[in-house]
Amino acid sequence: MRALVIDDSRAMRRIVGSILEGFGYQTRPAGHGREALDVLEESWIPDLACIDWNMPVMDGLQFVSAVRANPAWRQVTLMMVTTESEHGQIVRALAAGAHEYVIKPFTADAIADKLALLGLLPQGVPA
Amino acid sequence: MSTPIATLLDDETVSAVAAEVWSALVGADEVLVPGRGPVAEGRSAWVGVEGPWSGLVVLTCSTTATDDLTRAVLQLAPTEELEADDVDDVLRELANILGGNVKSLLPGPSTLGLPQTGTPPHPGSDVRPVGATWRGHPLTITVQGATEAPAQHPTTEVTS
Amino acid sequence: MSTALAPTAFDWVCQLVRRESAIVLAPGKEYLVEARLLPVARSLGLAGVAELVDRVRARPDPALSRRIVEALTTNETSWFRDGDPFTALTSTVVPALQAARRPGEVLRIWSAACSSGQEAYTVAMLLADTLPGAAGRVKITATDLSREMVARTRAGLFSQLEVNRGLPASMLVRHFSRVGTEWEVAPALRAMVTASELNLAAPLPRLGPFDVVYLRNVLIYFDPATKRDVLQRVRRLMRPDGWLFLGAAETTLGVDDTWERVPCGRGSAYRPTRGA
Repeated sequence: MRALVIDDSRAMRRIVGSILEGFGYQTRPAGHGREALDVLEESWIPDLACIDWNMPVMDGLQFVSAVRANPAWRQVTLMMVTTESEHGQIVRALAAGAHEYVIKPFTADAIADKLALLGLLPQGVPA
Repeated sequence: MSTPIATLLDDETVSAVAAEVWSALVGADEVLVPGRGPVAEGRSAWVGVEGPWSGLVVLTCSTTATDDLTRAVLQLAPTEELEADDVDDVLRELANILGGNVKSLLPGPSTLGLPQTGTPPHPGSDVRPVGATWRGHPLTITVQGATEAPAQHPTTEVTS
Repeated sequence: MSTALAPTAFDWVCQLVRRESAIVLAPGKEYLVEARLLPVARSLGLAGVAELVDRVRARPDPALSRRIVEALTTNETSWFRDGDPFTALTSTVVPALQAARRPGEVLRIWSAACSSGQEAYTVAMLLADTLPGAAGRVKITATDLSREMVARTRAGLFSQLEVNRGLPASMLVRHFSRVGTEWEVAPALRAMVTASELNLAAPLPRLGPFDVVYLRNVLIYFDPATKRDVLQRVRRLMRPDGWLFLGAAETTLGVDDTWERVPCGRGSAYRPTRGA
């Protein structure tokens, strides 16, 4: 399983990346949406993208829209991981095409629970 | 003029938000004790909020605590070397998360800026500093309304 | 910083918890006792858990004993925990019950160790989303040993960290609204849930009869004799064609033979055997 971890904070990329690697994921980091699109364009298509909202160059919502506009990337499950936590913001992200939403701050268990919901937690990993 | 921050947020709410951030990000057993401050010598990170209420959410952490805090967030052993920007990166992300959560408690819709470190713009009269103590080190979370004239600091990063 | 709890203090706490809740704390759970009871001790101005135990032993105080038991018997729960019993509810159980009942007959569901209410509200959300007229014909009874947990279930308020735990974002936006730092369950769902205090290890009040019972991750704490008693008491409150869901690590097999294990969705459920 592959995951793309998109966040402008290196600390956050490291935290999310190491949680996912603990579940057996192969991960790649990206510092903003444009960098993440570059990864997809070189045909590294992940099962999951964890996406921060506020980032320089291209934000998470723009990235979600771009991915959903390209049928070749349909298999990518898009999970926002962001401090944006108003009801209306979550609605906006879902409307743009995000599949799931994790609010920062989160614990590793929260990521595991969401992956279990999405059917993206490899078998044999205790949730 | 937007509504004064003191009528929008109380100290307990800011402390509760910070305590959740600490327990999730710094560690499940990490207790952020409300009270104490101000921080005599510290490092700050902040994030801007723009909307019906505009201003900044600033995290200031005593310089004696920043290395420990960074190691705790990154789950590094005491012997592991920190990279040059690790401390600022962690402070910026903490400010970002605190800012986003504080924003969600204010009248909206609002937008959140990108976090920065350095010397934060001086607060005006509309300011709510909340002190806390972590592992004996003081830190403050300051929610401050935008001053009348935007602070004049050179913009180093230009995004098109 | 914290010193290990002395064996005598730990044993005393274990006996108290066993007596009040029938929950057995295994040796090696000293760290759990220490972590859960330290806030109780601090709230009374005591230095630590040892002082707290000394105080209750010297001067029996039922209210304080109860706080100790509550602090040790509550768990953090996530929404859709072990999702199978929930997907099975809408895919298998409710269609079967609808076929067997008169149209519009009330469905009674029991969340028998409701903790802070996630299980009861998960059921409420699923049925509100899939069963027309659910608000008027689904009654969910939520019970817990802990008074604090019952109050929390009733309030239907959850912290951000709690709604982050396995609650689908689409359900969050559909059924919750923000209230300050917390998220509040919609009034229509709260109206489907009645919460009350109940000790599964003691004789049960008249409840039900239930069509579906969720009794998950509770039996593991009980000794074998209490497990059987609890299962028998629960069965008497169920309809003969009702469905019981246990935790993934729990079973009636070898404990109480008046149940039949049946495949249900991707997991299994238990149903009272005929004539039992």
